[in-house]
Amino acid sequence: MLNDKYSQKIVDIIKNYTRKHSLWVVAYGTGCGAIELPPTMTSRYDAERFGIRGSATPRQADVLLITGYLSTKTLKRVIRTYEQMQAPKYVIGFGSCAINGGMYWDSYNTIKSLDQYLPVDVFISGCMPRPETVISGFIKLQEMITDGKANGAEKYKENLDWYRTNQKQVIKNWKMPDYNW
Amino acid sequence: MNKELTNENKLIEDIKKTFPSSEVSIQREKRVIVKIKQDTVPPLLSYVKDYLDFNHLSHISCVDWIEQKKFELVFILWSYDQQIQIIAKTLINRDEPKFTTINKLWRQAETYEREIHEMYGVEFVGNDRMGDFLLEDWEDIPPMRRDFNTIQFVKENFNDRSAAREDSKNVRETIAKHSGEEIPEFAKKYSTRNIDE
Repeated sequence: MLNDKYSQKIVDIIKNYTRKHSLWVVAYGTGCGAIELPPTMTSRYDAERFGIRGSATPRQADVLLITGYLSTKTLKRVIRTYEQMQAPKYVIGFGSCAINGGMYWDSYNTIKSLDQYLPVDVFISGCMPRPETVISGFIKLQEMITDGKANGAEKYKENLDWYRTNQKQVIKNWKMPDYNW
Repeated sequence: MNKELTNENKLIEDIKKTFPSSEVSIQREKRVIVKIKQDTVPPLLSYVKDYLDFNHLSHISCVDWIEQKKFELVFILWSYDQQIQIIAKTLINRDEPKFTTINKLWRQAETYEREIHEMYGVEFVGNDRMGDFLLEDWEDIPPMRRDFNTIQFVKENFNDRSAAREDSKNVRETIAKHSGEEIPEFAKKYSTRNIDE
């Protein structure tokens, strides 16, 4: 690869263009929002025309959808899933529970704001968001990828200590593998 | 509606004959409530299961009577032949809650007992799976007890978004500032409202 500025820019444009048209989603429904995904994926709303489709494993996926509330027990699994995913990777927080706890604002077992534990690129509001909203959230993510703004994974890498502190505040018994960053 | 509760009355007679210390009453049609002492619950359950065809254990539940310092265990049974529900209630000590397991009678009782152990702290003697069930690494008192202060627990363990975000004090003004719009005249009286109040 040529090292001058302009050819790197062209490479970035091509890279972002291809990335934004193949967003593979981990099939991991954490809350009640997972019920909105079958109509989003199937023929009526047909998210695959935007390149959005499910992937079998986290290691092949680009997008982690947090669909709704996240209990602390699930958070542990979600962190492991997120850390197994390979870059480029993006997180979409889905529904009001991921934003501020939603109707679980006083629950003893549900985390209140997702972006303290995982780097969220796009939040989709609603309880629950309809498939149109979900697709518009994905299009927002595509725009951010085009502009090079969807850099949640780098933020996570830079501020790993801060995220770890927040995660360990909730997950008391921390027995997790350390991945090679 | 005066229905003849023949089946229910016959059931009450049977139970009262076998367990004279129990208080039996008909709540309504197809529903019989038995209040009984703690140590006679397993004999009662095995009696109604074996001799009166109450085969189905629907649920085991628990009620926290904090004023009386008691837990109330509620066993709900259903008979497919007689079409009657028996609700067996018993009071146990709240300070040291212990009860005998009934998972020899019904295997599904194990799951209910584990849940009650996790949410109320009742220990079921004889059930060997009294470990973690739904909550992982729980260190506080069981969360469904009435002296567990949920809001205080949430404030200590989770960060509230309204404190974390600087623009949450006044959402409308912040949105207007970001997008470079002016707040319309009619909306100005709402925009100064503080969310914390």
